[in-house]
Amino acid sequence: MKTFKDLLMVSLTGLFARKVRTLLLLLGPMIGVAAIIAAVGLTDSAKGDLKAKVNKLGTNLIEVSASSAFGGQDPTLPEDVLDRARSVVTVKSVAKVHELANIVVTPYNEAKDKYEAVPIPVLASDVLLPSVLEVNLISGRWLNDFDEQATSRSAVIGIGLARQFNYLPGETRTIELGNIRYGVVGVLSEVELEPAFDNAVFITFSAAKADFVDTDKILANKIYVRSQVGAEKDTSEALKVAVNLGGPDEVTTDIKSEALQLAAQSDQQIKLIVVSMGILASIVGGVGIANVMSISVIQRSAEIGIRRALGHTRSIIASQFLLESLFIGLLGGICGVLLGIVSIFLGATIAGWVFVLAPWLPPAGILLAMVISVIAGLYPSVRAAKLEPLETLRLG
Amino acid sequence: MLHEPDTDADVSQQQPANEPYVEPLLELKEVSRVYGSGDAKVYALRDVSLRIMPGDFVSIVGPSGSGKSTMLGLLGCLDIPTSGTIIVGGKTVTGLDDADRTEVRGRTIGFVFQQFHLIPHLDATGNVETALLYRGLSKSERRRRAIESLDKVGLGHRHEHRPVQMSGGEQQRVALARALVTEPKILLADEPTGALDSQNAENVMELLTNLQSPERAVVLVTHALEVADAAFRKVSMRDGRIVSDMTRVR
Ligand SMILES: Nc1ncnc2c1ncn2[C@@H]1O[C@H](COP(=O)(O)OP(=O)(O)OP(=O)(O)O)[C@@H](O)[C@H]1O
Ligand SMILES: [Mg+2]
Repeated sequence: MKTFKDLLMVSLTGLFARKVRTLLLLLGPMIGVAAIIAAVGLTDSAKGDLKAKVNKLGTNLIEVSASSAFGGQDPTLPEDVLDRARSVVTVKSVAKVHELANIVVTPYNEAKDKYEAVPIPVLASDVLLPSVLEVNLISGRWLNDFDEQATSRSAVIGIGLARQFNYLPGETRTIELGNIRYGVVGVLSEVELEPAFDNAVFITFSAAKADFVDTDKILANKIYVRSQVGAEKDTSEALKVAVNLGGPDEVTTDIKSEALQLAAQSDQQIKLIVVSMGILASIVGGVGIANVMSISVIQRSAEIGIRRALGHTRSIIASQFLLESLFIGLLGGICGVLLGIVSIFLGATIAGWVFVLAPWLPPAGILLAMVISVIAGLYPSVRAAKLEPLETLRLG
Repeated sequence: MLHEPDTDADVSQQQPANEPYVEPLLELKEVSRVYGSGDAKVYALRDVSLRIMPGDFVSIVGPSGSGKSTMLGLLGCLDIPTSGTIIVGGKTVTGLDDADRTEVRGRTIGFVFQQFHLIPHLDATGNVETALLYRGLSKSERRRRAIESLDKVGLGHRHEHRPVQMSGGEQQRVALARALVTEPKILLADEPTGALDSQNAENVMELLTNLQSPERAVVLVTHALEVADAAFRKVSMRDGRIVSDMTRVR
């Protein structure tokens, strides 16, 4: 332990005594590491906003819709679709909806002509939908169990529709759904994973059945599922089977953030090219270290000789030089990481990107610099240790 | 230190019977050192035997190329003989591996060279401290001993000077302080005054002469006759052999 402390002191003194040489040696690993950090950081930052969005929205929302295999009208999901979906163990939560067809939606009856041409989706929805979508309400509340049981004519509208109809948040307003007047109880926030919902009207299943459906049952034609993170693909496949088992119609599934995730992926090719160049720069830096250290060993041969004469063993001498190169790597790595971070920050700021720095990058960069420097220092250190004291001291 | 009874009892027999037997600090037994091979073979040392006793103050003289430095290197465990045995403090060092030889060297021998060989980037204290590294001493203890040693050679005012800021004489005194800080039993000096002007040479010689003590041996290689005459024992060499080994009557 004491020996190591002494070694540390000797190596650091050796480095600090030759500041310019040490600085020049630092440059190699420093530039290499900075290039790698900047390359990875900037390619990540270029997609930083999308990455942040993926993180916020989650990757695990799955849409399961009924689709007709034989071109039949209005395909539906089985009545017990929620139970079937929940039977898949990786399903965390689920909500069902039914898209109603051909309902003219207007803010009030007199404006009918103006809005008739614009189809606005009306959905029967269960009370769990916002929690599965993980969105809040801008104002008011979502449909609740009382609405469902009492068949009350309550509606929640999307934020886009609220803007279109000039509804102010908190204002008590009504909305005409095919001549039937519904009270707007809430406005839903933006649903980024299902943009169609921003312009939709949501009512309860019971109200939908009472006002708009002739059959004695109203079945869901779509469900939204949150799965365990990482199990999206498997869950999606399992749902197809579980939901449709024995049913007449077909089921299609869609992982909602798949496209977004794809868009958020960094440009791997550019990253690879710049990282390779960074590694190359580090290796060139390493060759530089090996070179300068070898010359240094010759220049310092008298120092090595006298140390040997004073009782320092070969392994102590080797360790001394190896530690010097380790410190060059450590310092170069730290400087490189700092320079890299500054580069990412400047680049991202100028380009208007979100600053992204993977947490493993700084330690990996420093480690790389240290490994390369130590490898580079190996040969000069062994040479230093092999010097014969008598030959370097040239006794008078 | 008791002498082993079976080795060379004749030397010790001349001492008064009540005096304890003394073991040599250093011993060369039929040591040869050959450089090169084939036609380029150079016999730097041929079958040399020598004993350095505690309290010895030996000067080694001889023409250039006679093998003085070669012998000093072997005495200091800095080199390995081609043949023969070297014993340091009762321990046979020929046959030891490098690490063990280095350990013996660091523990028992101090060196002073003609060219001082101070480490340029360290100040006087740092240079002296270098001899105390890797011995389990704390930094402050090392410093304390280094400063003490520098004070002994009269450099109390030069602790923080680096080699380039000092005269040759001062540098050689730092080297001497470095050699002495480990309190070695044997001090080997190869032409310690060779690079100094007469005033500084005298100064360094005075310091060396004062080092004589019953426990220590000082061996110095020199060309200067007045330096050689300061020694009690004079070993003369020629062509890799010892041609005379004379001790003054005390
Ligand atoms: N590394 C070596 N390779 C070959 N020959 C050597 C080597 N070192 C010394 N010699 C030879 O060994 C002989 C003794 O050299 P040494 O240095 O011991 O002499 P010296 O008595 O110290 O001389 P000087 O008074 O000039 O210092 C010389 O002939 C020298 O040329
Ligand atoms: Mg010589």
